[in-house]
Amino acid sequence: MKTLNPSKSSKPQETEEETAQAELSTTQYLVETIKQLQTRNEHLKLELLKTRRIPSGKIGLAFLVPGAVSLGFSIYTNSPVLAFIGLGLTFWGALFFFARPIKYVRSSLLDSAAIASYTTIDRIVKDLNYKGKSFYIPPYPKDVYLPEYLKGLKNMIVFISANEGASMPSIEDIAQNRFLIQKPKGISVAPPGLGLLTLIENEMQTDITTLNLTELCENLAKTILENFQLAKDLKITPEEEKIHIQITDSIYKQLYSKEENLKSIHFLGSPIISAIACAIAKNTGKTVTIQKDKVSLDGQTITVELQFRRE
Amino acid sequence: MNFPLSISDIGLWLAITAIILLVTSEFLSSSTTYLRDIVIDRTRLRLISIGVGLAFMATVIMRIFQPL
Repeated sequence: MKTLNPSKSSKPQETEEETAQAELSTTQYLVETIKQLQTRNEHLKLELLKTRRIPSGKIGLAFLVPGAVSLGFSIYTNSPVLAFIGLGLTFWGALFFFARPIKYVRSSLLDSAAIASYTTIDRIVKDLNYKGKSFYIPPYPKDVYLPEYLKGLKNMIVFISANEGASMPSIEDIAQNRFLIQKPKGISVAPPGLGLLTLIENEMQTDITTLNLTELCENLAKTILENFQLAKDLKITPEEEKIHIQITDSIYKQLYSKEENLKSIHFLGSPIISAIACAIAKNTGKTVTIQKDKVSLDGQTITVELQFRRE
Repeated sequence: MNFPLSISDIGLWLAITAIILLVTSEFLSSSTTYLRDIVIDRTRLRLISIGVGLAFMATVIMRIFQPL
């Protein structure tokens, strides 16, 4: 009897453990769902805020409605004065729909804000005596389910290797968001153009992974030039496993100047180049490296060559 | 119940509007201080002003073939 007792007591214990396990997984699932819902809620709040922030639209309506009424009355009363008033009000009302309120800052503020992070990376690289390259490692898509310990794989990172011919860091190191990586030696940091890429994606309103490379290059150049006006001219030419970028009069051109003497700008690229490299890595699912860069004598034109790396 | 404006009236209005819009679109590029928090799509504004200018030209052509 005594020998049977432990087996009898272990069964309920197992059931309890199973119940606890099930409860734990349910809680985890619920927490995950709540997180997703919270993120969605934040997105919806932002969208709502966007739609509300068009006071010029209200002004436009305030002009359009009396304008239309005035035009109608001018036909009814056969009055040219009312017709002129109506035409004017309608036209300017329509014009107000083109005005959008936005906050502008000086462009010099952007590069001066970026210098600090490049200087920090310069100091780290110099201190660790690294002479390698940077590798833009593509992240996992946001909508793919990954267990908690692999969630770090969804973050876009750039790996700066200690030596030229380094291989890629292990999945564990990337997943754990490690800064110092031992095998192969190097550091992993957030790309300087990651924030800009998020803005570009929001502006494009398309998932960049769904576009083909030529479409992506065209859309990127268009968004950077027309929507953000970050440069005077930008040419992104895709080739087989290579991308040629030529930027003229970029707002980050000061980062390449000899006075600043930044080393990291040449292997990480300016925020614009970094954002383009991130976008290409995300789109192709391949690691992207900055192969070479060249600054024109007057410092106005920067030519960069990106290369995909097959794993 | 006819529209009370003649072609010449509309032509005059279009010409004045086109000039105002063209001047505004040129003015926008240099005076960001006064329009700091407002963005007007300059390219679109210029396109509209050119369109209005072309409409004025159309009224002129109409008056050539139909003087009254």
